[in-house]
Order: sequence, then structure tokens, then C-alpha cells
Amino acid sequence: MIEVRNLSKYFGSRCAVNGISFTVEPDTIVGFLGPNGAGKTTAIRILTGYMPPTSGTAKVAGYDVFAESLAVRRVVGYLPESNPLYPEMRVREYLHFRGKLRGMDRPQRAAAIARVVERCWLNEAIDRPIGQLSKGYRQRVGLADALLHSPKVLILDEPTVGLDPSQVRETRSLLRELAMDHPILFSSHTLSEVQAICHRILIIHEGRIIASGTVDELTSQLSDQRRVCAEIKGPQQEVVGAVQKLDGVVGVNATPDGSWTRLNITARGNVPGAVADLALARGWAVRELRQETASLEDFFVKAIVDARK
Amino acid sequence: MRTTCAIMQRELLSLFCSPIGYIVLAGFWLVTGAMAVFNADAFGPGKPATLRDIFMWTPFVLTIIIPAMSMRTISEEYRSGTFETLMTAPVSDGQVVLGKFLATLVFYGMMIAGTLIYPILMEVFGNPDWGEVLALYVGLILLGVTFTAFSMFASSLTRDQAVAWILGAMPLMLLVLSVYNLARVLEGWQREVIQQVNIMGRFSAFARGQLATDDVVFFLASAALFLFLTVKVVESRRWR
Repeated sequence: MIEVRNLSKYFGSRCAVNGISFTVEPDTIVGFLGPNGAGKTTAIRILTGYMPPTSGTAKVAGYDVFAESLAVRRVVGYLPESNPLYPEMRVREYLHFRGKLRGMDRPQRAAAIARVVERCWLNEAIDRPIGQLSKGYRQRVGLADALLHSPKVLILDEPTVGLDPSQVRETRSLLRELAMDHPILFSSHTLSEVQAICHRILIIHEGRIIASGTVDELTSQLSDQRRVCAEIKGPQQEVVGAVQKLDGVVGVNATPDGSWTRLNITARGNVPGAVADLALARGWAVRELRQETASLEDFFVKAIVDARK
Repeated sequence: MRTTCAIMQRELLSLFCSPIGYIVLAGFWLVTGAMAVFNADAFGPGKPATLRDIFMWTPFVLTIIIPAMSMRTISEEYRSGTFETLMTAPVSDGQVVLGKFLATLVFYGMMIAGTLIYPILMEVFGNPDWGEVLALYVGLILLGVTFTAFSMFASSLTRDQAVAWILGAMPLMLLVLSVYNLARVLEGWQREVIQQVNIMGRFSAFARGQLATDDVVFFLASAALFLFLTVKVVESRRWR
């Protein structure tokens, strides 16, 4: 549904997007993840026809964003980053206005507004001026606008920024629901969010895509080394020596804590099991034993650190 | 067409929702009323039944009033970010500019319509020349068309309404006043040249009941020029 080839955008000599390529398949949620200023918003603005790329091509639902800008704007539902709205208009007026801009006649607009109001839980706010609405409601108005014309593709720029936790949860479940009929590309700088709802993730940094794949693919790309923490009661030197000899242990870092020894083990494979067996065999007491699994966050941080090198 | 209409309607709605619209209406009617009451040549017993004296200084008043009416049209969209939602909807830059321009003109038309009370009063108490009145109102509308186009151009240059007002009002004021005064002191070919942009002079021709093609063309062509420039400025985000 979205096909991007070698897209670049320069502002003067500053490069905001540097030769990115990706595709978004139908019926998937793709998360665009990156630190602030990475080029997410610029890339999204190019895809929605707001500004043209400096070079490269992008197609949305088969239309070129530069040559067929109006056609692209007709099929895309877009929620910009700051969700700008007209504070003096009432919600219904605003949605009618947006419907007219999209060339819908009165019965079409009435039907579409009823549908999106239902979908975005806007019933109580429909006749209130937008300027009086809470941030959460405004976000829903923005989403309702993006859905008004039954778009083929939804592009959302940081849809949950500034919402309170329960609103964030609501928005996420709405996105999951919406993904059943529209592919969604959305940007975020919050990892947990992307992890929670996306099928695929694109990590963008300094205008380049530095990684892409599913959450599982990305975390498995991390080195297979794990960190294991253990606290064992026993003579420290003996404990450290024995642990170091275990299969898969790469390094051990020990700190005494009273009669206990706290171990930080860098390891491959099933080291916690081996440590438990060892302690059992020697009769040492164990009060903590856990393995830290690599998270998307580790990947994100590592990817960005690697990209800086 | 429907899109342009939608933009026009929304623009009118926000003009009526903002205090600026009402301040502008009140200000214009107050100044025009003051001219009618305090100018001894207008509505005096035995004076000619003409609107000329009431509207003599209207071009100058409009250099302040019209930029205030149009200052928010585009700059407010930049500032609030709604420019982005507008420009990612399937509308062309020209439709946006035209819709906003028409909305401002409709508002201006209502403001001007409020002054129809003076010819009506003249009809009650005297015997005005309706041809002259018609020409004067054509002149007022043309003035509005040109000044609005110029003020929208000013508004498209900045995201700050106050700056947009200054950018619109200052050049218009300078043009209207300095050219009016220069035209009285210059002579020969210099006078000929300066007369071409003498807005007060052109307007007073309408006020005398003269409908000349070159005046009409001057106002319409300059309006077209500034509307075109406004569209280009709005478009410039694409190649900047």
C-alpha cells in the first residue's frame, strides 16, 4: 500500500531524510520509531503530499505522492503530529467542513460523521466547540477526521503524545481495531507503544532507516549474550571459581554482600539452570537467580549507538 | 467549487467568531458615521445631496481596516498548524486562497452594506443622484478587492497576525497618503506616472460618479497580481 524508494529530503543543506526505502503491506500496522528529530515527521509529510521529496519516489495506494498529489490526499487519512484543529468550530461543524473538502455531499457526510463519531467515542462532544475539549477528545476529533472518508491508508504522526495513560490505552485498542481494514503507518518515539501494537517496526535515525523487521526479528538480531544475576551464599572465591568454569559463562563480576555473593554473569545458553544445579550440588543457598531477556529497548539503544559510530 | 465554498464558509464563521470581525465593523461604521455627522459639507442644509464628503477619506480608513480583516486568513493557519491539515486534504492552493479571499470580501461587503443608510437618508431628505451613488459603491468594492488581495499577500508571508497587519497596512497607508500628496506637488511626466497609482485620485473619480475602464482595470489587475503572488507564496513550501 505504501512503497518508498530511496526517498531523500533536504532543507537547504540539512538532510532530514536520507535515502529511505520501505513498504507497508495491506492490513498491517507499521511503527515508525526514532528519537525526536530523526526525520519521522518529514518522511510522513512527504507521504501525505504536504511537501515533495528532494529525490526518490513514494507511492501510496498506487499513486505517486508528487505527480498525483491530489489523488494521494484523497485516499490517505492523516493525523498530523500536533493535531491542529480550529478551536472556534464545533466538532460537528468541523467534520462537515472536512467532509466538504473531500467532496462528500450532505447525506454522505451525515452517514460518515455518524460512523466516525461512533468509532471514536465522540458522542458527548459532538456539539461542543473544539477549543473547550480536553486533549484526549481533540485527539479523537483528529482521528475521526482522518477516518471520515474511509481512507485506504492511515498515516498517524505520534497519535498518543500528550494523552493520559487510559486514553493511550483506548487509542491503542482503536488502532488495533482499525488495522483490520486499513494499513496503518504511525510514528512514535515510545518503544512500549510500538512494541504493543505494531506488526512491523522501522527504526529511523538521522534520516536513515537503521533497522526494520518484526519485534521478534529485531530482538533476535541482538547478540545472543544474556545477563544473569545470581545471589549465592557460600565462600566467595570458591563460588566465583566454580561459576566461571560452567559451560556458556563468558564473564563473572562478583560483589560481596555480607555472607552472600552477588554475581553478574555474562552468558550464552541456559546458564541459570547450570548455576542452580551447581548450588544444589555444593549445598549453597540461592536467594536470587534471574536472566534478563533482551528487549526492544536494548535493540533501539544499541542500533542508535551503532549508527553513531 | 464545493471545496472553495467550504473554505469560504469556514473562514466567514471564524471571522464572526473572533472579536476582530466586530471591532473592524464597529470601527468602520464609527469613522464613517463621524464623517457624516462632523463634516459640515455632508448632510448640511442647502448642501448638495452627495456621498462624496462622507467617503472622502474612506480609502485611508480602509488601509487600516482591511489588513485587520485579512491578517488572520493565512498566517493563523500557519501558526496553529491547521495549514498542514488543509494542505493534506484534496484541495489545491488556489482553491484555498480563493475561498479565503471570497470570505473576506463577503465580510467587507456586509460592512459596506451598512453604510447604505446614508444614501437612504439622503433620499428621504433630499434628491441624490443614484448614478453617482452606484459608481461610488462600485469604487468601494473595487478598493476592497484590491486591498484584500494585498493584505492576504501580507498574511501569507508570516505566521504572526500582528506582523501580517503591519505588512499589509504600512505599504497601503504610505501608498495612499504619500501618492495623494505627491500628486499635488509634482508636475509634468512625474505627475503623469504617479497618477497611475494614485488610489485616492482613482477613488474620487468613482465618488464623482465617473466609471472609467482604466480605473476598473487598475483595481482588478492589481488584485489579480496579489492573489497570484499569494498562491505562489503558499505554494513555496513545496520548493523551499
